[in-house]
Amino acid sequence: MKNQLKILRATRNWSQAELGEHLDVSRQAVNAIETGKYDPSLPLAFKIARLFGRPIEEIFDDEFGGGTDDR
Amino acid sequence: MTNLAEAQMTDSDDMSQSNGRRIMWIILASLGIVMVAGAIAGYMAQHNEQGGGPLGTAGIVTFSVFAALIGALSYAIWTNSRKLRADNEPLTKRERLNRNIMFSCGLGGGVVGVTVALNSALTASPASDPIDLFVSSSIPPMVALLLAFFWGIIMPVIAWVWHKRAIDEQEASAYRDGGYYAAYAYLIGAPTWWLLWRGGLVPEPNGVAIFLLFTTIWSAVWYWKKYR
Repeated sequence: MKNQLKILRATRNWSQAELGEHLDVSRQAVNAIETGKYDPSLPLAFKIARLFGRPIEEIFDDEFGGGTDDR
Repeated sequence: MTNLAEAQMTDSDDMSQSNGRRIMWIILASLGIVMVAGAIAGYMAQHNEQGGGPLGTAGIVTFSVFAALIGALSYAIWTNSRKLRADNEPLTKRERLNRNIMFSCGLGGGVVGVTVALNSALTASPASDPIDLFVSSSIPPMVALLLAFFWGIIMPVIAWVWHKRAIDEQEASAYRDGGYYAAYAYLIGAPTWWLLWRGGLVPEPNGVAIFLLFTTIWSAVWYWKKYR
């Protein structure tokens, strides 16, 4: 699943480790989500959305109409 | 999202795949040391069966090869551990705990393997096959009790802490996937072997081989899913 996590992380100037601490996951998990190799669970997706103050569909694009770029 | 797209990226600290490779080399080298210890045990048992005494030239050469192998594998562990530390990347709390548990388990497994191998080497077992010697030769009851306590009591506690506090959902997912692959390999492979044995086509199913295959598949899939 495509997502904007890497870009959002850059806006906060956070490292993957720092984002991992905020989300209580490993750097590997942050890396896997950013590169689209792992889709986060719904609770983690909500946590990410709350952390960056954006709706989930603005961060994650399920390629079936989600994501702001497709609108 | 234009403002996001134009934001400065902080890629310098992004995780590369190399960490996965380094950890893989550490795991494989650790397993290699245990296997070499098993080979030494087998060699010594055969030597004792043939009357023991001082080692001849062939024995010295063989032990030199074993020593060189252990030295090379230890060097691989040392250099890869150093590179891991030299990355100087901050670890999250979960990662730190995870890594400590993994290294402790590797160390514990190594101690168990070397203990069994040394015990096999020091006791004059009638077994002639080095693999049989390492896998099924008798060990003193106290050593068996200690190893079983470690494996049957300590390991579940470590596993519980690992699952509850050290791993995150991405690793848990990788672990589950590994379990699926391993379970299907077992459900399909073990009865197939058993049926072929009943037909007299293959040797009798070996529980240790099945266990090793099961854990190898589980670990390989877990590793691939976590670090790919």
